[in-house]
Formats: sequence, C-alpha cells, structure tokens
Amino acid sequence: MKNIRFISFSVAFILPSLVVFMLLLLVACNKDRHAIDDVPPSIDVGFTGAFPKQCSTLKRGETFTFRARFTDNVELGSFSLDMHHNFDHHSHSTEVGECTLEPVKVPINPFVLIKSYDIPAGQQSYEAEITITIPADVDPGNYHFMIMVSDQTGWTDMKGLSVHITE
Amino acid sequence: MLHLSFQSLYLQHNCDYGMRFCFNNFWRVGFLIWFVVLYPNTNGCVGQENIRPIDSSRNTQDSLRWSNLLQEVRINVPLYQQKQDSPLQTDIITQDFIRRYKGGSLMHTLSRLPGIGLIGIGSSQSKPLIRGLGFNRVSVVEKGIRHEGQQWGVDHGLEIDQFATGTIEVIRGGGSFLYGSDAIGGVIQIHNEPYRPENGFSGNLQLLAKSNSNLFGGSAMLKGRTDHWVYGARYTWQSYADYRVPADTVYVYSYAVPLHKRKVRNTAGRERNLHLYSGYVGDLFQSIFSISQVIQRSGFFANAHGLEPRRVDHAFHDSSSRDLQWPFQEVEHLKIINESVWHAGRHRMELEAGFQYNFREEFSPYVNHGYMPPVYPDPDAMDTPPTLERLYDKKVYSLNFRDCFSIGKHTFTVGFNGEHQDNVIGGWSFLTPGFRQYSTGLFLYDQFRLTENNILHLAIRADRNSIHIEEYRDWFPSGTVHENGKTVEIQAATLPAPQTEYLLRAADLTRTFTDFVWSAGINQRWDRTELNVNVGKSFRVPIAKELGANGVNYHYFSYEKGDPDLSPEQSYQLDLGIGWSGTDLNVNLSPYYNYFTNYIYLNPTSLYDYQYGAGNQVFEYSQAQVARYGAELSLNYRFSSQWSADILGEYLRAEQLSGEKKGFTLPFSPPASLLVALHWTSGDSGRSVQGSIWLDRPYASVDLKFSAAQNRIVPPEKKTGAYYVVNLQAGAILQVAKTTIHVDIQAKNILDTKYMEHTSFYRLIEMPEQGRNIVLSMSIPLDWTKGTKTTG
Repeated sequence: MKNIRFISFSVAFILPSLVVFMLLLLVACNKDRHAIDDVPPSIDVGFTGAFPKQCSTLKRGETFTFRARFTDNVELGSFSLDMHHNFDHHSHSTEVGECTLEPVKVPINPFVLIKSYDIPAGQQSYEAEITITIPADVDPGNYHFMIMVSDQTGWTDMKGLSVHITE
Repeated sequence: MLHLSFQSLYLQHNCDYGMRFCFNNFWRVGFLIWFVVLYPNTNGCVGQENIRPIDSSRNTQDSLRWSNLLQEVRINVPLYQQKQDSPLQTDIITQDFIRRYKGGSLMHTLSRLPGIGLIGIGSSQSKPLIRGLGFNRVSVVEKGIRHEGQQWGVDHGLEIDQFATGTIEVIRGGGSFLYGSDAIGGVIQIHNEPYRPENGFSGNLQLLAKSNSNLFGGSAMLKGRTDHWVYGARYTWQSYADYRVPADTVYVYSYAVPLHKRKVRNTAGRERNLHLYSGYVGDLFQSIFSISQVIQRSGFFANAHGLEPRRVDHAFHDSSSRDLQWPFQEVEHLKIINESVWHAGRHRMELEAGFQYNFREEFSPYVNHGYMPPVYPDPDAMDTPPTLERLYDKKVYSLNFRDCFSIGKHTFTVGFNGEHQDNVIGGWSFLTPGFRQYSTGLFLYDQFRLTENNILHLAIRADRNSIHIEEYRDWFPSGTVHENGKTVEIQAATLPAPQTEYLLRAADLTRTFTDFVWSAGINQRWDRTELNVNVGKSFRVPIAKELGANGVNYHYFSYEKGDPDLSPEQSYQLDLGIGWSGTDLNVNLSPYYNYFTNYIYLNPTSLYDYQYGAGNQVFEYSQAQVARYGAELSLNYRFSSQWSADILGEYLRAEQLSGEKKGFTLPFSPPASLLVALHWTSGDSGRSVQGSIWLDRPYASVDLKFSAAQNRIVPPEKKTGAYYVVNLQAGAILQVAKTTIHVDIQAKNILDTKYMEHTSFYRLIEMPEQGRNIVLSMSIPLDWTKGTKTTG
C-alpha cells in the first residue's frame, strides 16, 4: 500500500522535478549565449632577445631595453612595469628558479619605477620595447622587476622577476 | 533524522511559529481564552521575532512531550525544516543540526543546506553566501540586531559564536521588505539560546576537538531562573593550529612553496567569547539584557598575502604550527542588546535596542608598495605602528520596533528599523574610507488569512539612508620616481591643482538615498502539499568603498575606483516554493528568478594607472543589469524506522545583461552541487553497554557531496574543477549514571580528497581545501536542581 503510494507519488512529482533539476544542470554546462572571452593574456620572456630575465643583472647609471612579448586570444589591453627593491627579502619572484640574495639591508635611495603603457588597438600579439635608464645614484642590490599585462576584457597576467642592480 | 511524520510535523510547526506562546502557557495559566483571542495576533507576527515568547526551551520540551504522545520521540526532532506560512523560502536550523554537522565556523556548518554557501578564509573564518550573493548582500541578524562588519574585505569572517546560538533561520532570497538594505540576497537570523523554563540552575559543557587543525576548545554555559527572572552566561574558547591540506607543495604563480607536513603556514588561531544575559520573563511582558564579546585572532597564509608572493623564513614558521606570526588579524566584537516583548490587548509589541562595537586590526610587517617611503618613518611621529596594516573601528547603534495586531482576518505588523554606524579607519594601508551612516525604515506587513490553508502576504516599506564619507589622504607623498635616469616628482608635474602631493584617496561626500520596496506572496496548502509564490522588490544602498574608494589593494594588484554617483541596487525577485510532506517523504523544490536593474559590480578594466594606482590594474565600480535564476531541491525519504536518505541539490546561474561584462557571470558564483546522504538511526530506546552506561539513540550517516565544475568566471577568477567529497557522521547519547551525554563524531573529507572550492579566499592561489578532519564533540549537561537527566 505504502509502496504503491510512493511509486505513484514519485511518478507524479519527484521525477518531473528531478528532470527539471537535471535539465537545469545540463543547461549550466552547455548553454553559452554570448561568446565571452575567458582566456587571460600571457607574457613571454623566454625568447632570445627578451630582457630582463629571471636573475638578470642591470648596471646603475646605464640604460637597458626592456623587451617582452605579450599575446592574447582576442585583443591585448595595456601593460605596466614596476621595479622596486627587495632589500628586505619581503617577497620572491613568480618564477621557478631562485637567485642569489644579498644580505638584508636598509634602503637609502632605492630605484623605483612605476609606469604604465598602452598597447595599440587590435593586437593579439605585441612585442614591447621600452628603454629604461637606471640613475647612477640609486642603491645597488636585489630588485624585483614586475611585468603586468591585461587584455581588453580585464584578464591579466603577471611576472615578477628577480633582478640585480650592480654598481 | 530529518523525517517527521505529517502529524508531528504539523504540530511542530504550530508549536514553533506563533502558537509557541500558547503551548508554553497552556498548562500553567489555563490559557484557552487568551489563546482564542490572541492566536491570530501572535501567529502572524513577523520581523525579527527574536524572542519567541516565552521560552524556546520549554517549547522544545513541549513539542517533545507532544511527540511523545504520538510515539515519535526517538527520531523525530528534525534537524532542519522548511518554515511554513512564510512568504519566503526559509529554513529553520536546530542546535541538533549544528552539533551534528559542526564545521569550522557557523557558515561552514550551514553550508550543508542547499542554496547556502560560504566564502571561506582558512579553517575557521567565513562569510555567508546565499544563492551566490554575499558580503553586503546578506543580512545577518543576531538577537534581533543586524550584525555589522560585512564590508571589510574578503579576508574577514563573521564574528558569531556558533556555540551560543539557538535556532537559526535562513531566508533564501530578497527580504528587504522586512530587513531593509543588505537583505537583498538573503537573511541569516540567529535566535537566542533557550532560557531555563523552570526555577533552578543548570548548565552545559561542550567539548570539541578536531584532528586536522589540532583544534581543542569548548563552551561552558550556565543558566538559571528564579520565578520570572532568568539569567545565564556562556564562555567559549578555541585554539587551533595551522590546518592541513592534501598537498605537499602549493604554487604561488609558478613559484613552488613547500608545505611543512602539509600545513598551511601560519593559519593558526584562537577564539575567546563571553556571553551574559539577564532579564524578566513574564506572561505579558519580557525584557532581556545581553552582552556578548567575541574575540578572534587568526593568521593568514604566510607565503602569499592576497595574491602577492611573500618570502618567509620557513624554518622559523615551521618550528611551531600553533604560533601566530605575521600576517594575522585580531577581531573584537562587542554587543550590548535589550530585547523586549509585551502584549497589550490585541497588540504584541517587540523592541530591540542595541549597541555593537566591531574592532578589527590586521597586522603585517611594513612593505613599501608603490610610492610609499622605502623606510617606515619614525613610529613616534606616526599615529600608526609599522606593523598595523589596517584598522577598522565601528560603532553601531540600532533600534527596532514592531507592533503586531489583527483586524478580522488580517494580521498586521508595523515596524521601524533605525541604525547609526560610525566607522573609523586606521593603519598604513588604505582600502575603504571611514564613514558615518544613518538609516531608517518603516514597514507595514499584512498577512491576510483567506482561508485556513491560504494566506496572502502583502508588504510595503520605505527607507531613508544617508552616508557621509570622510576625506582621506595618503600619509606619504606619491613622491619621487626615477624616469629616464632622472629623479622626477610626478606629483607636481602631472596632478592638477589644487591637489597636493599627498594624494586624496577619498573625498568628503554625503549621499542620501530613499527607497521604496514591496512584496506580495501567497501560501496555499492542500493537505500535504504546500505552494508558495512570492514576488517582491529589494534594495541595497551602496557602501562607503563603492562610493568613495580610490585606493590600491596591493595584495591583489588592483586599484579600486569608487563611483560617487552610484544609485541603490534595485532587485526584483520571483520565488516559488513547492513542498510535499507525506508519511515517509518530504520534498521541497524552490526555483527563483531574480533581476537586478543596477547590480553594483567591481569591473576589472584593461587599464593600468601609474599615479593613483601605483601601476596596478584599474577596477571600477559600475552598475549593470543582472539576471539570476536557479533552484534548490531538498528531498528526504524514510525507508524504515531506521533508514532514511536525503537529496539536497542547488543550481544557480547569474548573467550580466549590460555593461562592460555583458554575458559574464558574477564573481563568487557557486557551481551546481548535489548532496546525497544516507542516515541510520537505531529504533531502540536504548541498551545497556556496560553496567550503568547506556547507549541511547545511536545514529550514523554518510554525506556524499558532488560539485560540478565552475567554468563560468569573471576576471580575475579561475575555472574550478568538479569534485566529490565524502563526510561521515555518527553519534549517540550516552547515559552514564544519571547524566545524559551527547557524543558526536564526524569524519570530514574522509578520503582526504584534494579539491578546490570556487568561492574560497585561497582559491586564486590554488590552495586546496582542508584535508581529512575528524571532529569529536561532547555535550555534558549540568543540572543541580533535579539531579536527573535532562531530555535532549
């Protein structure tokens, strides 16, 4: 008696609601009405000619050329460079390898570079080339060289490289 | 477990809602007349309803007594149930549920329910997430007073002591018409612990231990009563070590961070809470004063502050898993509340007056980000010590009043909510400005009982909110940078007059908002089937950081720009609830559709800003149309008097319909999930294990949770894979001599599955969730009055 009631109830109510639920789940997996960009851009510093690389050495009082390649599946946005000291060893790079660290020291006149740059519209791939001069009076030592790039959707990629400024 | 026979369920509901009062006093006062006169009045009273007249403990006992009569006592105290005759989808969670499924925090515990989730931070901190909405879109109400502190960032959890809760109601969906702004996504309402029903003095000691984080803790409660005077105290303490994950190494970007003994470095913490209350409980009048203080201290993963990799001395950190090093936070939450209820003629009036003080400090060693000076200035000359990264100091004054009365078949509730917030900020880092906020709301709610089984709900509400944001300037000049070999003062050159070199991060701003919301719904019951339909409008006023932020969150490499012209969010929601409760089967399906005309969204742009943003990505607060829809399913079937099963499912989809991110979902959207549980409970009334020790009502259950992948994401989220996780629960009541001891054991994530939770704080740095965790808890009653066992 109980079973019959249960079965009839299942058929009448639970099964349809489960089916609806499953359909909703399916919809969740398959339906994408708008083609949206969900792929972040990427930064390549691995090719020959890219600079700086992890553990590169820079000389104060001299000029170097930053060179990296940015790619995106749709359209690149802009990029930003940030160079700051790591005399206190507060952070590490985003990269696999580790570089030699000098002993911890107190900064006096550390080099700070904060600059953002546009990328021409419509680019899926862009090779950035920026000339940067390191003043002669800044503290030598361990620095971080951060590269950040965005695409038009707002996805980003970041690389934090450990570099060394020498006298 | 979950199961109730139809008869007892029906009775339970009557006891729990509205008629509680009647049953309480039914025996004592010969109450029938009052019952007849007052029943329609009290039944429909809504709003915070925090004091359920008069003693909820008595109610439970009464329900038990009644259940006894129906010979259902062994298994039929439900762990949670759907609230009936409510216009919104409301779950009621009992202490039994909390004891049985106790997680690291209250939201960890409640997240077993469909539609309820959390934004977890480590092993014991979390923020509520209801149907994918969190932060200021969920209102948490404790003892009738809105708990404030939701807007302080992702890494800050809810300061609620889960030991010190009575029943908890969770409303899924917009409840602004009763609760005002912030209740746009849902409401979590925490009721008082039951007062002592009879004269005398009793208590309870709960002990808790967890294997994963080596947690030990407990909570001791004492309560007493002398005629109409009730009083009580509770002290809770917890200490836990770094929690463990099923991984030896985590990767912060591509940098490998080894985890010592799989422990998440520096996530230990301590908690210490004190609650006191005292008051008068009469038949017509009741007034309770309570004071509570929650103090939490917890560490953050040392190797990544937000998304920022940090180099730390592993040997130093790993020498102890219980110590707390930088970065860590300390939270102190104080509440002083009076709750009063009185009956005067046809009226039942409720008043809550409260003061809360929320103080939070985040400690981290000074690191000069952006243009900050390389060396922290002499601390004597500064207001802020070099280790205090952020400080929030908030005082909140609240006043609520409700009057409930009936005219004919109508039960009206007229209510007022008022609140004043004063939020001061400190620390060397700036995220959200200080502010003062005043809000007042007036509502009228009519429950029109068309027939015995048919209720119409109509509500209107008007609100006025004003916010004043305090000006904030950087404490350091955005001074010198080196450009092309020269030292350049970027400020002087690039900033328009009259700004000085100390950047203006938040301008003085005053905004006033008026809102008008409404709700209309119907409950229809046919024998065993119940149908709820509700349509309503909710709102949320923009918070200080959405209007006035202009600061850099260095740990997320984001520069967040507020918009002083934002308007309050408006949300329209259609809620359906279809329930069926039979002898062996209970089913509830609750689909919903929700449309926001202007959801406030922190939109990541493709720009970087080198002045105000110190080279970080620009995130702008903007408004977009958003559609959200989904459903929750809960099904319970009892195979026999010993075996039952649950199926709990949730599905949600959100989509931005306009703006920069058209077609994208919203952040923190939980994936679809399904929980299948099998319960066993002994039908026996108890059996002797050894001599005088009895094992009563043993139970065991298994939860299998399946979560789908979440591939619909917005920047900067990452796609999260599907997973399943297995949790076990078991327990019994031990009768030792004349003492009744509840023993509950859980094995969470028994398979030590490595998985990631899409909405977790540590998701972005690819940190897996907590590994296997054995949780043991015991509840020992202390009763000096009778010296006999108390019924569970």
